[in-house]
Amino acid sequence: MKLNIDGLLVYFPYDYIYPEQYSYMLELKRTLDAKGHGVLEMPSGTGKTISLLSLIVAYQRTYPLEVTKLIYCSRTVPEIEKVIEELRKLMEFYTKETGEKNNFLALALSSRKNLCIHPEILHANIVVYSYHYLLDPKIADLVSKELAKKSVVVFDEAHNIDNVCIDSMSVNITRRTLDRCQTNVETLQNTIQRIKETDAAKLREEYRRLVEGLKEANVARETDIYLSNPVLPDEILQEAVPGSIRTAEHFVGFLKRFLEYLKARLRIHHVVQESSPQFLKDIYEKVCIDRKPLRFCAERLRSLLRTLEIADIADFSAVTLISNFATLVSTYSKGFTIIIEPFEDKTPTIVNPVLHFSCMDPSIAIKPVFERFQSVIITSGTLSPLDIYPRILDFRPVTMASFTMTLARTCLCPLIVGRGNDQVAMSSKFETREDFAVIRNYGNLLLEMSAIVPDGIVAFFTSYVYMENIVASWYEQGILENIQRNKLIFIETQDAAETSMALEKYQEACENGRGAILLSVARGKVSEGIDFVHHFGRAVIMFGVPYVYTQSRILKARLEYLRDQFQIRENDFLTFDAMRHAAQCVGRAIRGKTDYGLMIFADKRYARADKRGKLPRWIQEHITDGSLNLTIDETVQLSKHFLRQMAQPFRREDQLGLSLLTLEQLQSEEMLQKISQIAQQV
Amino acid sequence: MDEEPERAKRWEGGYERTWEVLKEDESGSLRATVEDILFQAKRKRVFESHGQVRLGMMRHLYVVIDSSRTMEDQDLKPNRLTSTLKLMEYFVEEYFDQNPISQIGIITTKNKRAEKLTDLAGNPKKHIAAMKKAVNSMCVGEPSLYNALNIAMQTLKHMPGHTSREILVIFSSLTTCDPANIYDLIKTLKALKIRVSVIGLSAEVRVCTVLTRETGGNYNVILDESHFKELLMYHVKPPPASSSSECSLIRMGFPQHIIASLSDQDAKPSFSMSHLESSDGGPGLTLGGYYCPQCRAKYTELPVECKVCGLTLVSAPHLARSFHHLFPLDAFQEHPLEEHKGDRCAYTIKVFTCPACSSVFCTDCDLFIHDTLHCCPSCIHRQGTS
Repeated sequence: MKLNIDGLLVYFPYDYIYPEQYSYMLELKRTLDAKGHGVLEMPSGTGKTISLLSLIVAYQRTYPLEVTKLIYCSRTVPEIEKVIEELRKLMEFYTKETGEKNNFLALALSSRKNLCIHPEILHANIVVYSYHYLLDPKIADLVSKELAKKSVVVFDEAHNIDNVCIDSMSVNITRRTLDRCQTNVETLQNTIQRIKETDAAKLREEYRRLVEGLKEANVARETDIYLSNPVLPDEILQEAVPGSIRTAEHFVGFLKRFLEYLKARLRIHHVVQESSPQFLKDIYEKVCIDRKPLRFCAERLRSLLRTLEIADIADFSAVTLISNFATLVSTYSKGFTIIIEPFEDKTPTIVNPVLHFSCMDPSIAIKPVFERFQSVIITSGTLSPLDIYPRILDFRPVTMASFTMTLARTCLCPLIVGRGNDQVAMSSKFETREDFAVIRNYGNLLLEMSAIVPDGIVAFFTSYVYMENIVASWYEQGILENIQRNKLIFIETQDAAETSMALEKYQEACENGRGAILLSVARGKVSEGIDFVHHFGRAVIMFGVPYVYTQSRILKARLEYLRDQFQIRENDFLTFDAMRHAAQCVGRAIRGKTDYGLMIFADKRYARADKRGKLPRWIQEHITDGSLNLTIDETVQLSKHFLRQMAQPFRREDQLGLSLLTLEQLQSEEMLQKISQIAQQV
Repeated sequence: MDEEPERAKRWEGGYERTWEVLKEDESGSLRATVEDILFQAKRKRVFESHGQVRLGMMRHLYVVIDSSRTMEDQDLKPNRLTSTLKLMEYFVEEYFDQNPISQIGIITTKNKRAEKLTDLAGNPKKHIAAMKKAVNSMCVGEPSLYNALNIAMQTLKHMPGHTSREILVIFSSLTTCDPANIYDLIKTLKALKIRVSVIGLSAEVRVCTVLTRETGGNYNVILDESHFKELLMYHVKPPPASSSSECSLIRMGFPQHIIASLSDQDAKPSFSMSHLESSDGGPGLTLGGYYCPQCRAKYTELPVECKVCGLTLVSAPHLARSFHHLFPLDAFQEHPLEEHKGDRCAYTIKVFTCPACSSVFCTDCDLFIHDTLHCCPSCIHRQGTS
């Protein structure tokens, strides 16, 4: 159908439209008009992708000078493929409607095997790829730096964007890394030696170039062609590479010294935590390495690798990592911390020293993106509370909106279970998590649910350790055996192969009427990337509040930083983080309007306003007073009722006019009134 | 101390939130919307039966009754099994009333096995007696959908092509324990044109959804006992026959009921053929009866298949009773209430008018007329007077 979105003609490739899609497009248009950034939350399964694509493509066609390119960033390969599928539909619709030949070029960069040809990007109207191409400085430099300024960037499924940013800027160095680095450096040395004998002119040429400095890059950046790379700060570009690392041999010698220093630092028996300036001071005192050459380390290495014409960069990942670390540590005095631990938290007896160079400020990695592109849209099914994202990513959005799901029937049923039938409070909080009664009640909850929920149930625990403890305890109490009379049990483990095997069998059991329970962990693979549509997830049970492991030093440092820099209290951030993961977990079950599922929050702390208020609006509005602090029995009764109601035949006609609209219905005055209430501005 | 899920007493049973039933439905609360959808479905059912569709008038139906552990659940009173069997008795009677030339059989499944309770037969008494006996049987273990369907299929596949082959599963459990891949069986069922419908007693199970969708049956889940009854009654009506089913002429006998007059000295009491096999004897010798026009075998009851020559024996009223299925009453037109203020029964938001005589009826009357009377009382009344 052809829509009129606030004066803009939008081609929408379907005959029906959800009201929230219309509302979403309105907000999006407003963001593009203002040439600003936006944060938009819309439940999954309501056609976010196609709304985004149709509006932005229409915008591009109408105002070709205002918006030249759409950069669509998604998380995983299947998601990228889904986007491409929708895009293809849209393009076919355009061709059919307008009759003219399609001159749009879209490009998807999914994996290495179909990697891009560089100049193509420059002409493509739409680019679809993974976050990392834009955020990770190592890759962004290769792929994204020549994208035009007048582009619209969309981050889909962006609820974890801060963690992606942080990961892309953090470096972990173990002994293994250093050993491999050692080999790298030796290879470099040999190659230099060889080239010196055969083609000394090449090295001289490089030297000359370095004397001239990184002018080229500087010119490019000033003339606004490149996306700036956070690893390559502006100041560097104006200077020449310092003399001490200009010749190839000197640089290799320099690397060796740096490596020896790192090795020495890893020889420790207790935890060390220090800031970047402290580290630089120490390195100067111990091995006389100045700050300046360190800053040029990454750039110098790149130049050397280019000169030596080494094709297989992958082999040199270790030395690249070290040089990136050198540059980062000497460039940023704030926002990073260095933690050296002699062993991992889980295995305190095995010596395995790690140097964590950890970024605490996600805004560093994403800053160039916000600065460079005129509109950046951050969107996901779960972004609540919306206002925290602009704070931690340090940007100013022009629109922030949360959309609800219009439903012809209430297809989600969030229930907060706070007590067992014996009235003992259920909670995963630290003091009571070992409590026998709590574990038994959790077991009974799962047992009772397994008897009334058809097909698949997905249960999430707060951590692997907690899950193991509970399951062991259930086994001893015989609860597990009783559950297995109703359904098969599968468990997610840290082993990816094992998990995907379990997942496959789980789906098979759901398919053929055997019924199954999948026990998994919030923040695990299952909670993030895998959808449990229809019968694969008729109920999701969230055992406890998935707080992040708070004893981790990296986390502590980050919390401190957030408090000092952004005035976000530790508790607020932890709760926000826990709730977004809980929302992600329970959101797995509802993947569209015809889907239905129970969402069971098994912890009395969920009933508190500070937790509940942080759930996405589309879940929150279905939590009534009657669904708070329930006992197991009450939960079972409510669930039974819900499941029977939902099993009644539900056809497309039932949705029509309520949650699914034709063009005429959309244009009615009354409906437009209703639509204006779907979006809630923050 | 493990809590046993079984509850012995009524007062220990689930919370019945009766007050919620009375809840007023502002802002489209759950109950209101779902009920709305149900109402629409009800109306649709009325409409669906219209138009010229071929109906399978000779039906062979197997009813599979789940007798697994879950049938002891007390959300139907006194428990699911008793409630189901009681409704089934009613269903069987109603079934033969509306489908006089059809047959029914009952299969139960528990403990991962399935067994035939009664064979396909056209006599309601036998089935009802068997079900009365089954009330006291134990509900144990898990059901096996595969085994139950397989037993039904073994018999149904030999039924002639012009009759309808149907299975109705009353499924209480949420799981099934199958010896082989059920999807292969579903394919076979589909190929044999056996229509499987399921009535779920607890929730929507995926495998039943696929089963019914593939074989062209219906899948419904009950809300409460009255809804259960309604869903069962829906299966009393013959389903539309698939266009690919065979057409054939069937030989039928219409025997007269002959009672030898008492004055006739030659009259001798004789046995009915149908009593020969049944051991419980019954009345045994009678004077009168129906005599097969082909072989003169005597039967006391109709309809029946002649034991001697295999001819189907029916009486004319039997066929007449199935007549309304073929020529159903036209759907009434729907109007908002305002247009008909003050007319007879009008409690509802919508009123319905008969297209022939334009009398006005409420929703319930509309359903009653279409489901039970099969003719418009107003029209009949007019015919009578004119």
